[in-house]
Amino acid sequence: MNKPEISNAFTTVGRETPQINAIEKVLGKAVYSADMKMAGMLHAKVLRSPHAHARIVGVHTEEARALPGVHAVLTGDDTPTRMTGIHHKQHRILAAGKVRFIGEEVVAVVAEDEETARDAIDLIRVDYEPLPEVFDTGEALRAGTIEVHDGSGNLACEYNVVRGDVDAAFAQAALVHEDSYETHSQYAGYMEPMATLAWRTSDGRLHILTSTQTAFLQRMRIADAVEMPVSKVRVIQATVGGGFGGKTAEECNSLICAWLATRVDRPVKFVNSRLDDFQGCRSSPPEKIWIKMGVDKDGIIIAKEVKIVADCGAYEGLAGHVLQVSTVRSDNMHRYLKNVRLNGKLAYTNNPPHGALRGFGGPQAAFALNSHIAVMAEKLGLDVVEMLKRNAIKSGDTSVHGFQIGSSGLSECLDQVSDGIGWDSKKTRPKDIGVKRRGIGFGTAIHVSGNREMGNWDGSTVIAKMAPDGRVTLMTGECDMGQGAFTMLAQCCAHELNIPLSQVTVLPTDTDMSPYGHGSIASRVTILAGNAAIKAAREVRERLLTLASEKLGVPKEDLDMANGEVFAKSPAPNQKIPFGDLARLHIYRAGGEALQVTATYDPPTFLAMATPEQYGNVAPGYSFAAQAAEVEVDTETGQVRVLETFVSDDCGKALNPLAVHGQTCGAAVMGIGWALYEQMRYEDGRLLNGNFADYTMPTADSVPYIQSGIVESMEPNGPYGAKGASETAIVPGAAAIANAVYDAIGVRIKTLPITPEKILAGLRAKQAAQDASGASR
Amino acid sequence: MKDFDYLEPASIAEASEMMLAHPGGSVMAGGTALMLALRQRMVTPSHVISLRRIRDLRGITHTPAEGLRIGALALHAEVARSPLVRQHAPMLADMASRLANPQVRNQGTIGGNLCYGDPATDPPSCLLALNADVVLRSARGTRVLKVDQFATDYFATALEPGEIVSEIRIPPSAFDAGYHARFLRTAAEHRPLVNFAVSLRKQGDACEDVRMVIGASTRVPTRLRKAEDWMKGKTVTARLAAEVADLGASEIEPISDIRGDGSFRRDMARTACRRTIEDLFNPAGSAATSAA
Repeated sequence: MNKPEISNAFTTVGRETPQINAIEKVLGKAVYSADMKMAGMLHAKVLRSPHAHARIVGVHTEEARALPGVHAVLTGDDTPTRMTGIHHKQHRILAAGKVRFIGEEVVAVVAEDEETARDAIDLIRVDYEPLPEVFDTGEALRAGTIEVHDGSGNLACEYNVVRGDVDAAFAQAALVHEDSYETHSQYAGYMEPMATLAWRTSDGRLHILTSTQTAFLQRMRIADAVEMPVSKVRVIQATVGGGFGGKTAEECNSLICAWLATRVDRPVKFVNSRLDDFQGCRSSPPEKIWIKMGVDKDGIIIAKEVKIVADCGAYEGLAGHVLQVSTVRSDNMHRYLKNVRLNGKLAYTNNPPHGALRGFGGPQAAFALNSHIAVMAEKLGLDVVEMLKRNAIKSGDTSVHGFQIGSSGLSECLDQVSDGIGWDSKKTRPKDIGVKRRGIGFGTAIHVSGNREMGNWDGSTVIAKMAPDGRVTLMTGECDMGQGAFTMLAQCCAHELNIPLSQVTVLPTDTDMSPYGHGSIASRVTILAGNAAIKAAREVRERLLTLASEKLGVPKEDLDMANGEVFAKSPAPNQKIPFGDLARLHIYRAGGEALQVTATYDPPTFLAMATPEQYGNVAPGYSFAAQAAEVEVDTETGQVRVLETFVSDDCGKALNPLAVHGQTCGAAVMGIGWALYEQMRYEDGRLLNGNFADYTMPTADSVPYIQSGIVESMEPNGPYGAKGASETAIVPGAAAIANAVYDAIGVRIKTLPITPEKILAGLRAKQAAQDASGASR
Repeated sequence: MKDFDYLEPASIAEASEMMLAHPGGSVMAGGTALMLALRQRMVTPSHVISLRRIRDLRGITHTPAEGLRIGALALHAEVARSPLVRQHAPMLADMASRLANPQVRNQGTIGGNLCYGDPATDPPSCLLALNADVVLRSARGTRVLKVDQFATDYFATALEPGEIVSEIRIPPSAFDAGYHARFLRTAAEHRPLVNFAVSLRKQGDACEDVRMVIGASTRVPTRLRKAEDWMKGKTVTARLAAEVADLGASEIEPISDIRGDGSFRRDMARTACRRTIEDLFNPAGSAATSAA
């Protein structure tokens, strides 16, 4: 989609551009789902299971029903018998028959106000017959153990990928190293808990205003679950206060609210409390990762074997896809790697279900991989940055799994980070020997920009419509959840038409009016919708020029446009006509049709996930990142302070450097939180810290000044060369910190999070080992 | 939250009467803890009795004879900023400037903090190290308690029905140095895992007199009497600091919960204690690392 830059006085492409929807947010005027009120609106609350695994024997709702102000008390038996879910349709809208995790929704109440609904919840009694529970994936996959889903053997899915001759490659390797790593679950931690308002109109249609990243996937899933035709279901995207993967089509707030609206005659609002949100969310899957890697004497990675067991929790959702990413994606960073044997198993347990979260399996794999590479570099006596660079995939390469790398700035990211943090001098300075010891570490990342999956179509469609005043309105099925998608689309359109950004409005998705879109997942919107917006704007441009040519009597090639006018470059430079006039003319000349263009971009990619081989080019572009962290470890308290971090993101071309910087820093902070501060604490499947006092996300006090750099590798498939930039930077951080901790104190933490207790235990173990070896000498 | 009636007494006597008339009521000062509990329905009071209109609960004053008087409704941020507190109880002002987070400092009150009885906060230990008096008033009269008499257990105080804390008094003392060390398990925490507060009188390198308290990891702030006795009258060396810390850590009964088990808390109490003493005396051979 590259073409020579057109003369453009108004372009914001490549310039720091505030979000077009920022003002309404900072003024408190943005309308979120929970803000909306409708006449006659009722409020919903749910009763959640206190058991991780139990048969529902009886549900006693009489008292709740009798409470004044209560309109409906509904149980699993009232829900459609049809199962819902992503690939595996595994549960009903409310639990029926049995519950499989603590927090599963069992009964819903609809009442005049939220407090009455809560009162009614307190009056419900559910009789459970507890069943044996399974929480550990190892135990879950043992033959003959308790099954979460009958007949499943608790194996939700399994991937087996073998390429090349792995055993021969290991035999040739100069160094082979194997080890195991464990990652933990992360909560999305968006500011706005899930909230939905749903109502039916007298034509029987169901309208759902909700906080979502994927309005059309929501429509499909809700229509299916409530057994209505999709044309009778309308999903409207409200302002979204952060998604991070948690607001796709897995959470159940929207589904329950939508169904409740089919059961009462009035609008129903369901707003998650923070505890509801913690209990009902899909956090990222914890993984146990075993890696065996073989390298030659120069540190080139030639063989790799990986076994992953991921905890799915009670229902599969998107966890299978997440595991697929953990299993295969990181291999594609290494250009000489041809021999791999991969096994990924997803195990059902009675833990709360896991699913999509920013990075989508990337952070888990990158933690293990980058930790592993650092160990091997040390064993080889190689500088780890040098080793990473030697292996870094390059533009034009085809990776071991068939990714066609149109652009890779991975090496450049490594250089930029290395220079930025002063790697060479910090790496070679004398080691600290006091109580507080500094260390530095590296991590690298690959992420997709788009990922061909649903329907073997990864396209995006944008409608551009010019009003009779010359302003442009864009409609898209992709969502802005704060990441800046709408600003990006407006920038592309304004650039092509050479108009100020303020002349473009982007409408939030409304499935009744917007073109279809898979939504804001897989960092796909910039590369896909961006291209669609450019195509649409170019077609608008063509039509404007055609009309102006007719009106002005000037050949098209002598016309240009600026600031909302088409003008003649020659022979009569004074001749010009405003866009608005042309938009009106279009109506008259095109049989009453407004100037409106629908354009689609579907990338030349391959649906690898549907094939057993998992081979092929899944994305039109791949983003890369590198991050270095310098930490200081307090050897008496086990505390880790991140002194400095530098993260570079290869996003192809930064259409909006301000937005890229924001996404990179935000993702880096999320990575730091995952590595050091956040931990979902469970006791027999019960979340013990479902609030922000006890689940401690990073605060401004607890993160360093984050330096971020941009590498522009100019993706051939990208709009003006751009790729996705919202997820990549969450991927490398945990490994960078773990490697820095090792550099500081010689203790390798292989199980996240890196807690003070683990640091102290590691130091004690190290000391004991030293004492023992001293004693034996 | 459930519905309740909201009352705004104008005097301590009126507040006390209302509390006795509505035993199912809750008293509200800054509301930082109460609002959370109300929203989660951990408490469902019939009445919320706000103290905000009671002038007698406000103000920070000082007299040479009586020392500091801090009204119970003084915000943490006010305590931190007060020139009087900074002059006469600098460790208290310093503690208040670092407590919790800016939102809590700007809304929470020192009296409310004490009455809630949450162990995982900083003011109680600091006030105990300063030998502060807690003044309780009701229609029946006035009682004056020390902090370790006032804080009786985990989320429990000596407050009797109809009684409210009106002020905190910090008597003049012969101590001339002190510090409140707030130890967070990680930098992202807002609540202390453990804290260590010390008031002392120095004579060169020696410690003439000392009061030491560990809190946040114990059900109530705990005086370290053995450690105090060991330290008094001695020259403070790195070795003595370590001995004092060992003794002090042995005197507490640490709680164990998801934020930290007992042995980790005891270890961190020992470290916070030793480092704080080292920072105050800076003896040769200390690791010279700051506690917080």
